[in-house]
Amino acid sequence: MSLTGKKLLIIGLLVIVLFVPPLVIEMGTATMNLLVLLFIFIILSQSWNLIGGYTGQINLGLAAFFGCGLLVTHFVWKAEIPIYFAVIAGGLAAVVLAVIIGLPTLRLKGAYFAIGTFALAEVCRIVVGNMFARMVKMPGSYAIDYSIIPRYYLGLIVAIITVALVYCVTHSKMGLALVAIRDDEQAAQVTGVNTFKYKVYALLTSSFLAGLAGGVYAFLRLSFHNITAVFSPIWTFEPLMAVVIGGAGTLIGPIIGSVFLVVLSEIFALTLGEAHLIIFGLLFILVVMYSPYGIIGSVGRIRQMMSRVGRGTLKARQKL
Amino acid sequence: METVLQTIANGILVGALYGLVALGLGLLMGVMKFLNIAHGTFIILGGYVSFWLFNLWGIDPFLSIPVVVIVMFLIGLVLYKLAFSPLLRLPTIGMRIDTSMLVTFGLIWVLDNAMTMLWTPDTRTIITTYTGETLKVFGTRFSITGLGGLGVAVLVALALYFILSRTYFGKHIRAATQDAEAASLCGINVNRVYSFSSGIAIALAGVAGVVIVSTYSINASGGLSWLLIAFVVMILAGEGNINAIIPAGVVFGLLEAGSVLVVGVPYRQAIALLVFIVVLIFKPQGLFAKKD
Amino acid sequence: MLEISHIDVYYGDLQALWDVSLTIGDGEIVTLVGSNGAGKSTLMKTISGLLKVRAGYIDFDNIRLDRLPAHRIVELGISMVPEGRRLFPQMSVLENLEMGASINPARQKRHNTLTWIYDLFPILKERAKQMAGTLSGGEQQMLAIGRALMSQPKILLIDEMSLGLSPLLVQEFCRVIQGINKSRKLTVFLVEQDVQLALSMAHRGYVIENGRIVDQGDAKLLLSNPRIKEAYLGLEQENKTD
Repeated sequence: MSLTGKKLLIIGLLVIVLFVPPLVIEMGTATMNLLVLLFIFIILSQSWNLIGGYTGQINLGLAAFFGCGLLVTHFVWKAEIPIYFAVIAGGLAAVVLAVIIGLPTLRLKGAYFAIGTFALAEVCRIVVGNMFARMVKMPGSYAIDYSIIPRYYLGLIVAIITVALVYCVTHSKMGLALVAIRDDEQAAQVTGVNTFKYKVYALLTSSFLAGLAGGVYAFLRLSFHNITAVFSPIWTFEPLMAVVIGGAGTLIGPIIGSVFLVVLSEIFALTLGEAHLIIFGLLFILVVMYSPYGIIGSVGRIRQMMSRVGRGTLKARQKL
Repeated sequence: METVLQTIANGILVGALYGLVALGLGLLMGVMKFLNIAHGTFIILGGYVSFWLFNLWGIDPFLSIPVVVIVMFLIGLVLYKLAFSPLLRLPTIGMRIDTSMLVTFGLIWVLDNAMTMLWTPDTRTIITTYTGETLKVFGTRFSITGLGGLGVAVLVALALYFILSRTYFGKHIRAATQDAEAASLCGINVNRVYSFSSGIAIALAGVAGVVIVSTYSINASGGLSWLLIAFVVMILAGEGNINAIIPAGVVFGLLEAGSVLVVGVPYRQAIALLVFIVVLIFKPQGLFAKKD
Repeated sequence: MLEISHIDVYYGDLQALWDVSLTIGDGEIVTLVGSNGAGKSTLMKTISGLLKVRAGYIDFDNIRLDRLPAHRIVELGISMVPEGRRLFPQMSVLENLEMGASINPARQKRHNTLTWIYDLFPILKERAKQMAGTLSGGEQQMLAIGRALMSQPKILLIDEMSLGLSPLLVQEFCRVIQGINKSRKLTVFLVEQDVQLALSMAHRGYVIENGRIVDQGDAKLLLSNPRIKEAYLGLEQENKTD
């Protein structure tokens, strides 16, 4: 079978594995809930990865787009519009927000960009906290027919669209431009790459995805006790952690990192309580300092080492 | 007229604290080009040290400052040895800044949660005999703890200025900041300079924490909001401009206090932050940048 | 005596020096000449500890230098005037000189040393309170040399002294350095693009090309060496008939 044939087979199998089970097996609300959260993290981490991993700019304000998407989706859905459209509306709203507050930040570099995006997200959090009453609720009618299954599929579909979209972006001219910007923005500019244009595209795409993630979460949770919590920096920080641990600047890295975070969180939260977060933090630091390409990078490096060993033995054999 | 005077007074008091909060962050960034995102966490840690000294042994927070300084200084040395010095081998300054951001980001997770585990997420504050007391001067009220904070901020800033401009070690710091290689060619042990600077930076965070726990309150996850303030003031002062940090803090404090008059309390920080963002975009060298 | 023995030096993965060997005796003025990019500054940075050797060793009076950090090498008595001067721009002339005396024995004697430096370069005394970044090129070079001398070194390394300076000024520097070499027995190792200047000032010389030592010997002899003349001094060989 050809390589693309093999790839298609794997994707086909994956699709079956992901789509079929909830229809035939009873998986339990807790597990399904966890999976939807996993999908949300996959979307958010892919979103952060576009700017952080591929373009090389540490963005500390992702939460603003997440929260914005969530809010808009909530209200559009409340207005009796079907959820899939509401989620798209959420994504688009996040893009609008990105145009208003995100574009100016593109002038900033490095530390200033990080600080600026962080400050902007905080402004959003404060404004939202004051504009809305703490609690944002859905009418009871929405809660009566609540089933986790449509949430699962919504999350799954949006996650798949996200991964596909990021794949297309990174395998296009834009992807090359972004990596060039990450490696050396000045050099890229000098060779004629319109760095501003691509940074804008990256920002818009990233905010769209983050907004979609917010929409999925709005569908999942329905009502929010404290609406400012969805604008909390934690919604930036956890995807960041997933990306770095999994492998920044790769397609699979954020997925691995998200699985790692969500699954291990579940397993350890029961046994270790808060300590599991400390372990994640330590692991994160170790990854940053000694394995900057995350889990993917370690796999890559092991493969390199093994191929070197292989070549070495081959050479030795040739000498005999 | 009274409200304006009161607003100015509030602005100056809170602004001095804001400046104090930013000193440690600015020092580390200026000397080593490290962005310590966990700075707010260390502020909280310093507050906790003072809190426990008060609750266990009745030591007044302002008197606990020397102890806090020593403890946090040592923590800073350890931090340098374990987490910062490996980063010095990175080839470019950009990478150094980015990686230091990520490493200290991980530290937030470790330390915030460790503090939550050790000391619970409860909000803590120190109530002394003079907490809540105010002084009335020309019709404007100054809280005693606020004045204490102002005093600490000014003293610390003066001490730092003195160290940097008059002492040999301070000059070594300035030399290493301006050209680390040239400094080592003069026989300066740049590694030791960096190590001590880290110690001083963390100690400064600790002192800010002491003032905060006695003037306001702290809780294990409160570091991020103070980090934001430190960020803002540091940028307003201009990179490497240590002496401009307290004034920049006062500017921001006045801005925040002033916006209360315009938009009321809930939005005051939002307005101040927006102004900051405008400054960041149009004059990233800060308000106090020296002319080159 | 400074002995450099068969060193290889790399910038990252790129090799810059191949099997370089040199000796510098006490009280000598030795020069290393070569064109741009030949490896002169690389060698200086390696001796002063800013770069590490990957093979070979550097020995100073029976102490291994190549394992030591830069500030320890200053303590041992080797001081460098770096390429491009590398002054502390936001510190005054006086403060820059003070920084030169950072190691302990020098710090004790700094007042005397300062007087000596001011004698050598009176204009530095005039400008003592001025910020180093505002000085002219020649004044900056004076300050850089003065700063390096503040540590009371046994060996003075000078990297590209003549760059950007007027010939008159450079001659003056030569005079000063030769003077200190005689009066204080200060060993000098200088690296220069201006081959004529360097070889006329020094006792012995080495020639470096593409990271390898290709010639060495008495400085005056090297000056009259036809190959050197053609390669570096732009002089035609005398017996060419075309």
